Amino acid sequence: MSLPPASGTGRYFARAAKSIRLIRQGCTNRPFFHISVTHRRRLNSQPVIEQLGSYDPMPNTNNEKLVALNLERVKFWLGKGAHVTDPVAELLGLSGFFPIHPRSYMTAWRNRRTERENIAKLEAEQAKAKPPAS
Amino acid sequence: MSLIFRKLARNNPRNIITDAQILVISCRKLSIVPSVYDGEDPAPKFFSSNVQVLLKRLTRPDFTKVFRKRTSHGLTVLKTPTYKFLTNEELEEEIAKANERADRLLQMPPVVKIQQHIEDVLSKDPALVGYDTAKYIFTDITFGVANEHRFIVERDPDGYLRSCDHDVRKRLNQVYFPTLGRKLREPVMFSDLEKFNSLLDREQYEFVLDRACVQYEPDEPSYQKITSMTYQHVDNKSKYELLRSTRHFGPLVFYLTWHQTMDKLMLELLQSGAVREAVLLTALRQDIHGDVANGDVARTIVQQILPTPVQLTKPETLTEEDIQLDSKCVECIEKYIVSNSSMKSQQELALQGFREHYQQLIELSRGLKKAHGKQ
Repeated sequence: MSLPPASGTGRYFARAAKSIRLIRQGCTNRPFFHISVTHRRRLNSQPVIEQLGSYDPMPNTNNEKLVALNLERVKFWLGKGAHVTDPVAELLGLSGFFPIHPRSYMTAWRNRRTERENIAKLEAEQAKAKPPAS
Repeated sequence: MSLIFRKLARNNPRNIITDAQILVISCRKLSIVPSVYDGEDPAPKFFSSNVQVLLKRLTRPDFTKVFRKRTSHGLTVLKTPTYKFLTNEELEEEIAKANERADRLLQMPPVVKIQQHIEDVLSKDPALVGYDTAKYIFTDITFGVANEHRFIVERDPDGYLRSCDHDVRKRLNQVYFPTLGRKLREPVMFSDLEKFNSLLDREQYEFVLDRACVQYEPDEPSYQKITSMTYQHVDNKSKYELLRSTRHFGPLVFYLTWHQTMDKLMLELLQSGAVREAVLLTALRQDIHGDVANGDVARTIVQQILPTPVQLTKPETLTEEDIQLDSKCVECIEKYIVSNSSMKSQQELALQGFREHYQQLIELSRGLKKAHGKQ
């Protein structure tokens, strides 16, 4: 199946609300997302107005997650008043285009907390294992 | 005995070599060390119109080699040549077109300074530490932006937002905007030194340089290393003929002149009787370093040489103007050998050989003229 053009094949209504969102394009166990602009009330499976980029959430061999953004078109659709969904806003925040999304900070400190807890648990286990040996 | 000779050859490989056998030993002993243009920027010199003209002329373009069939890859049917009857004006037009096409095929890969690392921190956000264990790399794929001006930034696990370095930029440009023939991973022939050396030993210089041109940017360290090793190999083996009439001969001559090791090339030119090109080479050295004793004389002779047609083969008959010009060239080269050359004895010998041959040629052409009844 050939891919639809990046200019999109969906019908366009000027007054309808737009949204910039991630649309899952991969297959089973292999997520891959297009960053697309579409009508807010339209399903992700329906044709989009325009594709603005892509996001590969699986790290490549160099441990990098690749994001492509057509910033010129993103600016255009933001100017048209398009709504940005949270995952896309997070990506745009990390790229330095938007301010960092609050959810990114939350994820970061939650990850740090679990890390701390894991380390504490590990130390406790080690401490428990040590006394009988000595 | 051979040990002493080998030691001598190693100490001073240029002047001691008299015997063919010792030459072989010394060639094997010469180790190739890759060098890059990391000091003074060579670009202003390389792109100056004087140097470009000299390099193009030194390439000695032979159209049978420039327009040769290189590969039938991608052609389902080989095209047969077409023959046409043309008037003189039409023929001139066609020749002009062919010259233009040859210019395009012989466009030299640029010689520029090695690139600097990009260290540009755009923002620091320690609150993002721990967000992810992988890097995020953002590429701006806006239409109509050149590869070198594209925004490519990375968000590191330590919360820093940075501009990417050249290797990452190149990889991502290749991912989103592929260049035909360039591989995402470095080809084994470049990364594996053994395979690379085997290619050089098989004298596949043009293949190596063509592929390096496609795979790398001219300011990349690997490009400059690979090309410098190839150039040194060509120079050690004196196989300049393999690169003549290709786009790589100009950068080769520039490299040798820039590093002051063009005397072997000079010797080859004198041995093959191309004194005019030898003068061009001295003028090139004068343009790049300005250390030639009679550089200004060489420059004035160059102005006389440039309008004359390129000599692809040794001339069979001579006109009086040719004789005048060539004798001027010989004088210029003599001075160069005395004052600047590092291979004096061999070059003098070669020049002497040329002079004797030339004297015979002069007598022959004058005798012919007389026999034809012209003065």
